[in-house]
Amino acid sequence: MSSHPAVSLEVPRDRTHPPHEDVVSTRAAARSGGPASLLPLSRRGFLAGTAALAAAALAACGRTSPVSSSAPSGSTGRLSIGAIPDQDPEVLQRLYGTVADSMSGALDLEVAYQPVTDYAAAVSLFRTGDLDLVWFGGLTGVQARLQTPGAAPIAQRDIDEAFHSIFVVNAGTGLPPSDDLTALAGLRFTYGSETSTSGRLMPAYFLQEQGVDPQGFPGGPGFSGSHDATLGLVASGSYQAGVLNEQVWTTRTAEGSVDPAVVLYARTPAFHDYHWLLGPQAVERLGEDLPGRLTDYFTGLSADDPDDAEVLDLFGAGSFLPTTASNYDQVEEIGRRLGLVS
Amino acid sequence: MTAVRDAPPATPPRLHRVRARWAWGLGAVAVVVWSLAGAGLFTGDVVNPAGRAQFGRFAGSALSPALDPAFLQVLASSALITVAYAVLGAALAVLLGALGAVLVARTTWGRRRLGWTLARGALAVPRGLHEAVWGLLLVNVLGLDPWVGVLAIGLPYGAVTAKVFADLLDEVPRGSHDALLAAGSGRVAAVLYGLLPPASGGLLSYACYRLECAVRSAVVLGLIGAGGLGYQLSLSFSSLRWEQVWSCVYALAALCALADVGGRAVRRRLAAPRTPGDRLARDRGLTAAVLTTLALVAWSWWYLAISPATLFAERTREQLAYVLGAAWPPDTDGVLLSSIAALAVDTVQMSVIAIAVATVGAVALAGLAAHPAGHAGPGRRLTGTAVRVALLLLRAVPPPVWALVVLFVLLPGVLPGAVALGVYTWGVLGRLAAEATEELDPRPRAALAALGAGPAAGWLYGVLPRATGPVLAFALYRWEVAIRDSVLVGLLGAGGLGALLAAGWARSTGPR
Repeated sequence: MSSHPAVSLEVPRDRTHPPHEDVVSTRAAARSGGPASLLPLSRRGFLAGTAALAAAALAACGRTSPVSSSAPSGSTGRLSIGAIPDQDPEVLQRLYGTVADSMSGALDLEVAYQPVTDYAAAVSLFRTGDLDLVWFGGLTGVQARLQTPGAAPIAQRDIDEAFHSIFVVNAGTGLPPSDDLTALAGLRFTYGSETSTSGRLMPAYFLQEQGVDPQGFPGGPGFSGSHDATLGLVASGSYQAGVLNEQVWTTRTAEGSVDPAVVLYARTPAFHDYHWLLGPQAVERLGEDLPGRLTDYFTGLSADDPDDAEVLDLFGAGSFLPTTASNYDQVEEIGRRLGLVS
Repeated sequence: MTAVRDAPPATPPRLHRVRARWAWGLGAVAVVVWSLAGAGLFTGDVVNPAGRAQFGRFAGSALSPALDPAFLQVLASSALITVAYAVLGAALAVLLGALGAVLVARTTWGRRRLGWTLARGALAVPRGLHEAVWGLLLVNVLGLDPWVGVLAIGLPYGAVTAKVFADLLDEVPRGSHDALLAAGSGRVAAVLYGLLPPASGGLLSYACYRLECAVRSAVVLGLIGAGGLGYQLSLSFSSLRWEQVWSCVYALAALCALADVGGRAVRRRLAAPRTPGDRLARDRGLTAAVLTTLALVAWSWWYLAISPATLFAERTREQLAYVLGAAWPPDTDGVLLSSIAALAVDTVQMSVIAIAVATVGAVALAGLAAHPAGHAGPGRRLTGTAVRVALLLLRAVPPPVWALVVLFVLLPGVLPGAVALGVYTWGVLGRLAAEATEELDPRPRAALAALGAGPAAGWLYGVLPRATGPVLAFALYRWEVAIRDSVLVGLLGAGGLGALLAAGWARSTGPR
């Protein structure tokens, strides 16, 4: 292409001039991609590059992607699992091999852990069947179950049977601990993530029970995005009050990493939260007994066994217990009332 | 430039005020004041001094990023994923842009204005959706597949690129194109040989800029779970492990800088080819650049294990039908619509403040950030590098992170979101403004300096007047981007339409 007479059309000129010289010496022409630099590539080079691309495309067929090991049509024996824990998600997501290995050893299945951070994405992926078994929160579990007919809860942690949220206030408010939530109504208030059961749904419900409009805080409630962010925002005083998961509160208090400006205000009544949810497609592929085997595996994890203890530790659990869909009826009903489930 | 050199104006220009410009200027000031008033700047406290400690924890960690070997290994493999996404996304964008440019260029449509307007309008749709929203949509259709990341970058970027490429082609001097047509060549050949060569510099330069943007967008996609550096960043961010967040930011900044330096080198080569003037030889450096690009695309394809078959799989069709079914008809109940209207005002005010912050900041730093035209002392060069690195870091920290840390020191409302977006956009716009300054004719400033003007006066009277046009054009373009980016800040709950959109996603899979 570079040998084409296109060059001589760049600037009208008379024949006595050597054509290339005045083109190349015109700075403006050269700057805007003058002839000398146009397509600085030989046909051979271009062909080689294209061939490399084609080779890559072919090679890619036999490779598993680092971002999705989603089961191709051939591998029926694989279980895709995912989890978005509330507390220290980076620890579990970076040590997920531990969980996948433990499960795969106990169940004699190929278990692939899929990294996901976003609840909306996790719910979608569960619906599409990309994720077979997901560690959902109470609300997201209900959302996923309603969108995926045939999905069934498998197991919950010991603490999920009676989970609590903690209302915290900035020390500057001078509010002493109390069970009366109405005092929070006039404060700048932040929830955690929008779809969090313990950071949004249940606290909103308990506020409503006491006659506080859950959306009615001055300037509207904030959504910090995570329990730790709630702690940070209440410590800064930008929000005077907030609510978070009791598990995170207990852990952070034990670590001593909670800013002294954040003080406990109230503890909510108990509710059901996190659980493992199994999709219908996995049961079709791996057999009718899969739900039973999975429940047995989870409930069989013992804190006395060092390998099991490691898995339990990653989930912040003492042990796992069986659970049923009816445990989340309350969450579903409240979700409907607050417009979070449709 | 050449016009000034060759043909001085016959009559000296009269110095008079252009009324229309005054009207525009005053209008802009009024809009900014309205936005600031809406953000409550004049009606009450907006600053929260007690949050300094929390902000300090974030800022202080910048000096002690997490460097333990295990984490660095995680970062390295994540960086590879981000690079692969960015390269393929940008490549797809350039490909789509090149095809789309043909569809929306004035050259194609000629006098048929209606067709041209419709084609432009059609392009606005993919551009209007943020990459993160594209990502969520595509996850619903394609599931966990590397195509999600590539398409989520490539589709909206392709639409932007098509528009810019079309503009570049339309603005090139048409002499040779018309000459070819007059000489009897076909329209395709006339464009290929008459328009493409002179436009290629601008096209290439823009493609390089898109690559850097793609790196940053790949990180945003990580936030919604598509893997890579953004994924690690969002994990560490959700437990406020600032040391790890900073490590991710530095890795990201390094990638951006690489893309930037590479693009700059290629552009400089194009502007001043090293081949001797008397023969048309291939430039080895440029050949190497093109081959490297092709190799990078091939590697990314292999690394992400992309399979075109996924796009045409039965399952993809089913899921597409499901998503379209859920998306139509759009939700139209009155409460939702009125809250959308109220939040739309918030979004506009947020973006106006953001772009005002960014423009003022960018103009203030443009002179320092630009590479000096002639020889400069080591002090000046060091300052320049420091300013450029600072701008790079401003745009390497993703807007949601800015939103949270700004929220530590500002009271909730429109303002923290606006400042967060503004600081991020400052980083982007500062770079664009510096580049625009470098492209200016250096002679007015040199003349002022020769007459004894100081550096500040030289900049004010020799650079600023001519830089205003391009910088304002960039600012308006980034304003459009800022409106879309408010989705990101909204995802954190800093107000605006983004918050509502996030709530809609949480409720069901259909966009509202």
